Amino acid sequence: MTIQGGVQYNKIAEIKGPLVVVDDVENAAFDELVEIETKDGEKRLGKVLEVGNGKAIVQVFEGTTGLSISGTSARFVGKLMEMPVSKALLGRVFDGLGRPKDGLPDPIADKFVDINGEPMNPEQREYPKDFIQTGISVIDGLMTLVRGQKLPIFSGSGMSHNLLAAQIARQASVVGTQDDFAVVFAAIGVQYSEAEYFRRSLEDSGALKRSVLFLNTADDPAIERIITPRVALTVAEYLAFDLGMHVLVIMTDMTNYAEALREISAAREEVPGRKGYPGYLYTDLSTIYERAGKLQGRKGSVTQIPILSMPSDDITHPIPDLTGYITEGQMVIGRDLFRQGIYPPINILMSLSRLMKDGIGEGSTRADHSEVANQVYDAYSRAQEVRALAGIVGKAGLTDIDLKYMDVGDVFEKELLSQATDENRTIEETLGIMWKIVSKLPKNEITKIKDKYVDQYYKEE
Amino acid sequence: MASNSTLEQSIDKVLMKTEKEVLLDLKNSGLDSQQTLDNSLPKLEQEFDKIISDGKKEADKIEKQIIGGADIKVRNKQLLLLEEGVDKVFAKALDQISNIDRSGDYANLINNLLDESTKILGTTEVTVFTNAKDKDVVKSALSKFSGAELSSDTIDCLGGIIIKSKDGTMTFDNTIDARIDRLKPLIRKEIASTFGVGN
Repeated sequence: MTIQGGVQYNKIAEIKGPLVVVDDVENAAFDELVEIETKDGEKRLGKVLEVGNGKAIVQVFEGTTGLSISGTSARFVGKLMEMPVSKALLGRVFDGLGRPKDGLPDPIADKFVDINGEPMNPEQREYPKDFIQTGISVIDGLMTLVRGQKLPIFSGSGMSHNLLAAQIARQASVVGTQDDFAVVFAAIGVQYSEAEYFRRSLEDSGALKRSVLFLNTADDPAIERIITPRVALTVAEYLAFDLGMHVLVIMTDMTNYAEALREISAAREEVPGRKGYPGYLYTDLSTIYERAGKLQGRKGSVTQIPILSMPSDDITHPIPDLTGYITEGQMVIGRDLFRQGIYPPINILMSLSRLMKDGIGEGSTRADHSEVANQVYDAYSRAQEVRALAGIVGKAGLTDIDLKYMDVGDVFEKELLSQATDENRTIEETLGIMWKIVSKLPKNEITKIKDKYVDQYYKEE
Repeated sequence: MASNSTLEQSIDKVLMKTEKEVLLDLKNSGLDSQQTLDNSLPKLEQEFDKIISDGKKEADKIEKQIIGGADIKVRNKQLLLLEEGVDKVFAKALDQISNIDRSGDYANLINNLLDESTKILGTTEVTVFTNAKDKDVVKSALSKFSGAELSSDTIDCLGGIIIKSKDGTMTFDNTIDARIDRLKPLIRKEIASTFGVGN
């Protein structure tokens, strides 16, 4: 925070899409915050994208609708965009730029932090290995989330990813520690009804008091979406590394973020990359995703669940494709399961948590977790093959063991995968259901679990 | 009547056999029932435990909802009260600033503001705007800044100046209002800490 205000420049050369070109500018800095003032005194925020040759290109967050070249001025504030942070942010609802949206006053800040964050020193990163319980069996059991991990949800339009996001936000907790846990929820370009659902869902469940919500709705200017994840992550980093909390950041929908990036890129007349997204989409996404992690000597952690809807359910689309390069696994929402009315419709065969192996087992979840998860994966995969076969030869053409696998597939979908939106299962309950599934198989089919665990948990029917 | 006795014996035999069979059936049924009861006991216990644990979960959930909601309500009321207090302090401070004595140190302040503003714009070829109260102080300070002119128009502010380059391309707001505005978040924190919040 500086007492010196910035210089106001009154010569606007051009307004182009979400960009304003200011003339005769001296001493502006890249990323500097700019206050655009209209003839009527209305103020909008923006930031410097490019500067040089006496010109500055300013990206206006609230859009340029209604701005005219004459009478508009740009005040270069002399600082980068900052977010006021303090513990008092918990329980609050903000808009996509970090302004209160709950009718309450601005939070009293402990400090002001640059929203672009400090990149984590790779040397100081600590390998994530502690379990986060989401209360959702398929996630906890088969693609376990670990503190400090970034595990995206790949979904498609109209599917139940927002229900899932809200359920995770309500239920997530750290087990086996007294450390504080918080959820930072960033809704990016969501419908008003969805934003209201998120807010009400956290409020009604009592989870709002440990959450911070950032809501950028679909009718907010698209450019604001560039800022929303950064503001959310800034708050998450403060809660994690200054206050020692374990913070889960849920960002939905990152596709809207990428669309906003594309809009700016097009306005800047940059050479388009795949599907018109800028060539730096990968680098840009990494500046968001790489803000997850744990630091040596610090108590807290930032875990990310970015949610993105794949256009036409295309997993090779640039957004999921590039996201997959950066993140540590993915949870894929399956259209087939969704159509069958299964919730959460996570297709486990396409999903994976790369850090799961380090976050489960004795001391974290249970010693048999890894092996029983492998067996369930294997059995469900076989069940899918058998289903395909039954589609050709009919059920009558299947062997007894094939029929058993088919049964396993049904029980898996009915009992482990399916879960009510308000059902919070402990890891013990989840492992119990997984053993129930495994117990549908004859013992000689159980090849991935040690005998001692089979003797302990297998229940013949 | 030998045939009658044979008939009776046959009937007795049948009766005895039937009785034996019925008793055996009864015994087996009793054993079966006992077995069924024994078998269902663990299941019953499991069901009982599940109902209790579900009930406990539900109770925990409701407790969380009630406590969470109440905490948020209390906190929100606290925030509104705090803001009311902060606003009152601000209003009083602004009132005092607007009625400050314009002699002595105030002339130095105006001089500093002019110096700072011209340096930031990089020129002294500027037009200076101020409020009616500060006009005389600003006028006398301007002699040190060659090319600077005082505008005949006055502005509405607590004090301080706005300077504009003569070519009209740059403006710098160095009024007390603007400076307070820029520092408001920090001042709010200071005020809140005097109320015992955020320490």
